[in-house]
Amino acid sequence: MRKISKIIVGIIVAVTLVTALYIMINGLGLIDSLDFGAGAYYYADIPGFEKFVNGNAYTSSTPMWVLIALFLIWGALMYKLWVWLDKRQTPKN
Amino acid sequence: MAVIHSNVDAAANEEQVLASKTKLSDLWKTEDWQAVWIGFIIIAIGAVGVITGAFDFSAAKFSTWGNGNSLLEQLTAGFWGKLVLTAVVLGVLFTVGNALRGVSAKKYVPAFAGLFALAILVRLISAEYTFNRYLEWAFFALAVGLIIANTVKVPEWLKPAVQTEFYIKAGLVIMGFSVLFSNIINFGLYGLGIAWIVTPVVIIFMWFFGTRVLKIENKPLVITLATATSVCGTSAAIATGAASKAKKTDLSLAVSISIIFTVIMMVFEPIIIRAVGLGEVLGGALIGGTVDSTGAVTVAGTALGETAQTVAVLVKSIQNILIGFIAFAVAIFFTTRVEKKSASENKVSAAEIWYRLPKFIIGFFVASLIASFVFQPVVGADAVGSINKVLDQYKNWAFVLAFTSIGLDTNFREIKEQFQGGKPLILYIVGQLFNIVLTFIAVYILLSGKFFPLPNLVIG
Repeated sequence: MRKISKIIVGIIVAVTLVTALYIMINGLGLIDSLDFGAGAYYYADIPGFEKFVNGNAYTSSTPMWVLIALFLIWGALMYKLWVWLDKRQTPKN
Repeated sequence: MAVIHSNVDAAANEEQVLASKTKLSDLWKTEDWQAVWIGFIIIAIGAVGVITGAFDFSAAKFSTWGNGNSLLEQLTAGFWGKLVLTAVVLGVLFTVGNALRGVSAKKYVPAFAGLFALAILVRLISAEYTFNRYLEWAFFALAVGLIIANTVKVPEWLKPAVQTEFYIKAGLVIMGFSVLFSNIINFGLYGLGIAWIVTPVVIIFMWFFGTRVLKIENKPLVITLATATSVCGTSAAIATGAASKAKKTDLSLAVSISIIFTVIMMVFEPIIIRAVGLGEVLGGALIGGTVDSTGAVTVAGTALGETAQTVAVLVKSIQNILIGFIAFAVAIFFTTRVEKKSASENKVSAAEIWYRLPKFIIGFFVASLIASFVFQPVVGADAVGSINKVLDQYKNWAFVLAFTSIGLDTNFREIKEQFQGGKPLILYIVGQLFNIVLTFIAVYILLSGKFFPLPNLVIG
């Protein structure tokens, strides 16, 4: 069983690397006008990002404080859930 | 009663021990606090430079070269001036930090100069036309460091500068200034629903899949991979890796897996979306919620069309602001749940939480709050954008120094051991598939027009 899983993982690694290399060698998926790609990690790296923000692309009818409140409530709930699940699964001495 | 008394006494004693462990001099002698001051000094100088217009504090950046773009043409006097400025600013700040911690400046300065020279090489390589668009600096920084460490070996004189955590922490505090809460409104309830409902669920799923099903004992690796998958790739991995005190090899493995799969997803996701006829709005939102790095999201969205590009970037920009909260939550979770002295230690005191909490996370968070709620309302979004353009390169240089240090401090055997028979890879693939399914459900409910009205987007 362990040998089979090792073989499967080996195949996945090989296929992934070969695919990524094939993409890079052949320049697939690139957009000439965009001088960045998979390696640009943050929105500040995107030239002309301003056209997407400050209501330029979408104007929200929901006030920001409502969005922030929902954001914080959902975040707090999820954190509580994470801790609760972790406590349930941690064996007690 | 006696038991209660002894417990109370023990808690009081522990508080006293913790109080004595925390000293005022920590503010300038510990790496975490030094990273906070370095980050804030750079932010302050950058902000003053932009707001007053008195000087240009921009760090050096190589423009894309190759494919018809000359490398030599960009090596102007202005470029060299900025390169010297970058080396001096970072060199002085990191040297002072080391000196305050008792590291000999005489040994650190030449070591930093050597490391910075390697960082220049990394940034030069990663600015090449094809490399820039697929892999960029994190990958090449690791590669350059690894090649040196595993072939000619790291010379003794260079070793004092190999300080991964210090550079990462300082870079993160600088990055905090670009995490703007105003982005939360970019796509209203649609964006919040897609980016924020799904992300924590994926993190929790991957946490339990990794630790319970795959039984990966290295918990910092699990959380680093989970956030790289569900938030925004490398930057999320850096933030949560540091917050969970992950080992350097955890971070390099998580970042490598994320980068390789991002290349594949960037190319194939738009093709599959088009093949199944999902449309630009749904497809763009799916790309924004699932492709790891922001650059790849933009490229993949653009491949589908202008509307898809806009929706993809809007969703991703909201995911980007999650980094601070998630890194903070991870730091608290690891302090209170993972680093407990024993399983029977049910409650960790506030003093203990404060003692164990990585302090640079506070700097990261405060920088984000100041940018969002002080700078943006006072000087305006455009000025904050300009300040971030200046700070962005300092952050990148700090991260390049960090990733080169990781490579220099790692041997190939450690990476093989870290792979644990492929468990991290399985965790990433299963987590990413779960992320895609859950994001698709959220996208379909919010943007198909069957349950909620479609958003009015301004394109172009």
